[in-house]
Amino acid sequence: MSEERDRRSALDLLERHVEHGKRPGDRYVRIVRPREFRRRGPGYVVAGEEVLAPEGRVGRVGDAMRRFLFGARIPSEHEIHERVGIIKGLAVFASDNISSSAYATEEIMRVLVLAGVGALTLTMPITLVIVAVLAIVVASYQQTLRAYPNGGGSYIVASDNLGPFAGLVAAGALMTDYVLTVSVSIAAGDEALTSIFPELYPYRVALGVAFVFLLMIGNLRGIRESATIFALPTYAYLVAILGMLAFGLFRMVTGTLPAYQAPPAWRAAHGVEALGILLVLRAFASGSVALSGVEAVSNGIPAFKPPEWKNARVVLILMGTSFGVVFLGMGVLAGRLGIVPDPTEEHTVVSILTATLVGDGTPYHYFVQISTALILVLAANTAFADFPRLSSILARDGFMPHQFAYRGDRLAFSTGIIVLSLLAAGLIVGFGGSVTALIPLYTIGVFVAFTLSQSGMVRHWWKLKTLERGWWWRATFNGLGAVATAVVAVVVGVAKFALGAWMVLVLIPIMIAVMWGIGSHYRRVRDAMTLERPDPTLPKISPRVVVPVNRLDRSALRALAFARAIASDVLAVHVSETLEEGQRMRQRWERWAGPVPLAIVESPYRVLVQPLLAYLDALDEQEPGRTTVVVLPEFVPHHFWESFLHNQAALRLKFRLFFRRNTVVCDVPFHLDEAFGEASESAS
Amino acid sequence: MAYKKILVPLAGSAVDPDVVRLAVSIGKPAKARLYGVHVIEVRWNLPLDAVLDAELDHGEELLASAARIAAQSGGELETELLQAREAAAAIVDIARERQCDLVLMGMPYRRRLGRTYVSRTVEEVYLGAHCAVLAYRQEASQ
Repeated sequence: MSEERDRRSALDLLERHVEHGKRPGDRYVRIVRPREFRRRGPGYVVAGEEVLAPEGRVGRVGDAMRRFLFGARIPSEHEIHERVGIIKGLAVFASDNISSSAYATEEIMRVLVLAGVGALTLTMPITLVIVAVLAIVVASYQQTLRAYPNGGGSYIVASDNLGPFAGLVAAGALMTDYVLTVSVSIAAGDEALTSIFPELYPYRVALGVAFVFLLMIGNLRGIRESATIFALPTYAYLVAILGMLAFGLFRMVTGTLPAYQAPPAWRAAHGVEALGILLVLRAFASGSVALSGVEAVSNGIPAFKPPEWKNARVVLILMGTSFGVVFLGMGVLAGRLGIVPDPTEEHTVVSILTATLVGDGTPYHYFVQISTALILVLAANTAFADFPRLSSILARDGFMPHQFAYRGDRLAFSTGIIVLSLLAAGLIVGFGGSVTALIPLYTIGVFVAFTLSQSGMVRHWWKLKTLERGWWWRATFNGLGAVATAVVAVVVGVAKFALGAWMVLVLIPIMIAVMWGIGSHYRRVRDAMTLERPDPTLPKISPRVVVPVNRLDRSALRALAFARAIASDVLAVHVSETLEEGQRMRQRWERWAGPVPLAIVESPYRVLVQPLLAYLDALDEQEPGRTTVVVLPEFVPHHFWESFLHNQAALRLKFRLFFRRNTVVCDVPFHLDEAFGEASESAS
Repeated sequence: MAYKKILVPLAGSAVDPDVVRLAVSIGKPAKARLYGVHVIEVRWNLPLDAVLDAELDHGEELLASAARIAAQSGGELETELLQAREAAAAIVDIARERQCDLVLMGMPYRRRLGRTYVSRTVEEVYLGAHCAVLAYRQEASQ
């Protein structure tokens, strides 16, 4: 009974001390448990934050900096508190889509104006088509959210219904697009900023990279906090732009719209191409960037507060409506005023429109421009919310390295966030921070993913046709979405192919191949490691223990003692450089007269590791398949920098032994301060 | 009167959070050390050091919750779990051992036979403790 009690107390890390009270016969038991652990049940303890407390001054300073930058650690059980509602969810997941309204109209106009200022009359019809496609996509995704309430991103829907390869195609396409979302949004934000502060124009690449890293830090603080930080700019933009559009539309209705005259140089700079179908398609493709944010909401359902999928649906509808209103309003006013885009990209269409309506350099102009710059930068936040989530799902399914599934101190998928930041910063540097240079790479991926997702949904409803009433109209809706997005994907691919889209079309298959390769590797490892039915009796191993000994000292004796504790067949091996050294070692060993035999390997070429490994190989040949345990005596110095002065050979040996078959390596540490203590004791 | 060491026995009743907050506010001026203690009462038919899993889990849980409440109120509560035949004797002993100058007891509002009920533990600590004892009774409406 007492033994059982002790065993259970040891499992729970509890100690029970019987104490005597003041009165005779009074006794009580003090249950002492380590501060670092909390007991959850019998034999089950939970490590507290105390185990992560840094040691040493440097560690404490580092920890304080980490807390300042990223905030306090959040335990996994608080995950539910880290979710977002509709208000913050709109800011996180819809900022990409809403912000697209700031540059989508301009991108259409920039393409159309290549055929002359007269071609700008096509801006409004193209805008209407894009809004119609957005309406179809949003309506189709409403079905997806309902069908996949735990997260219905394209990867999940496509893998579930069309097979893992289709899922990987969607994932590869989406991930490429998310990286581009960050680069394009930040480059566009840069552009909006340099519109009002032209002196910053030469530094736009450095500014872009700085913005990426600011977003990275914000996102590493966790989704709820990043949503809190980034919600204000999103709503400020909506207020600013809707206010400007309302004012403009009011003046249009009342017939008081001011006159706008584009600088003659801008008019002269355009009109170099003929207005053909390809140009119109290119304009449509450039404007379709606006649809890129829809996917993030469906993938990010688990980030919403309960009822998750219903909140996600509301966010999706609000997002589509906000974007549609702003995009249409911009198209109407830009068309009515006859705005011509600035060929130097120094002034954006939003800036020209606001300056015309409310006056150049007025506080409202600054308000619109600054809030536009902020939302454009923060639109990247949608990609920061979704890329790490998607990569974590892929890592969970074994198609990406497992590190991507790891949640950091703030429950954010840290690896995904860091990788996304590095890739996006690289693109900004590579393309000189130009939106127009980056835009052709953008949008293809997201439409490929939409198409696969919607096709998957058609299959999903087909599979449920006997269980789900109204399956046919749901399938029809998703089918319509699939066709619409497939057409856009083809149009975008064709129209932008020569402008750089080919790079994306090459990159996506490479990504698929890499993910497929990673998946095959993880599958092989899993198949090799998995037990069909665990054998309750463990396999019996009787190892041969080898202790490499350099000198017969305290650390060697401790290693030998440990070796004797785990096996009876123990052999010490000393590698000597000369005959004399070997003989000296032999004499010392015989004087010691311990229970362990010593083998001396002379190495006339003064090499330690290879002769020892060859000796182990020779031992193996005597008894093939027998496990060898190499017990390494190793002493640990006082300060970390002292370790550079010691154990280099042991380190090399450990590294080589790590890859050796049937070999177990044990380190027996001997702390230097312990050695000092023992030496002074024996001296006294 | 500034108290330097305050012992807060916690039984897991509804009054515990109030007592912890009160202890923090009483201890704040003198930066007092606060000790939260929960005593698992062991029945006489079991050995004193018996492993009582359910009681242990309950005790751990309520001590962790009390420490959280103290932290939210701006204090730090050191917690301790004891097993004894009678909670009162263990509380009195631990107060002496810790050299506490105040034991702050919480009493949920209960009535028995038409009178406000004071538990035996509170009564015995009141009579047996070497230091000051303050009993906080919950409001009647609660």
